[in-house]
Amino acid sequence: MNLDLFDDMEGIILREREASMNSVNMRNAINGDSDTSRFPKNTPIAMAYVPVQQWGETYDDDKALSRGTLFPELDLPFSGGGDRK
Amino acid sequence: MNERRVLLNKIKKYDFTLKELNLYLDTHPNCQRALSMFKKYKELRINAVDEYIRRFGPITPEQNNDMQRWSWIDDPWPWERR
Repeated sequence: MNLDLFDDMEGIILREREASMNSVNMRNAINGDSDTSRFPKNTPIAMAYVPVQQWGETYDDDKALSRGTLFPELDLPFSGGGDRK
Repeated sequence: MNERRVLLNKIKKYDFTLKELNLYLDTHPNCQRALSMFKKYKELRINAVDEYIRRFGPITPEQNNDMQRWSWIDDPWPWERR
């Protein structure tokens, strides 16, 4: 596997965070729009990639327990039907 | 909610926050912000547990400090909501 692909990992992480703030960008990324894709060109298909978590905001302990996570960016409740309204 | 339950809930919240920081630190062992938050919550937890034991008795058997009586068996058990 060509590890050069991951030279820009920091950049990927930043783009990932920006994209996760914006569901429109996220959809473009999923659809393979090259301008907003979270992956470098020539990323091998059929491999699983996990963006690395970066330190950011934290909930207070009260909210953390009730939301089930200390980190707002991991507060991603699954609801039937995804983001369809 | 009575004082005992308030204190127990506090310990529960601190435990959860510590576990979350524990998992974060497992993959980010040099993150100073996570380390200092862990330290802060560790102290909060120690103080809350100490206060609980002093006022309401042991939460786990080894916390029994009474040399006259094995107070672990006294009601209410820590998980009994009264």
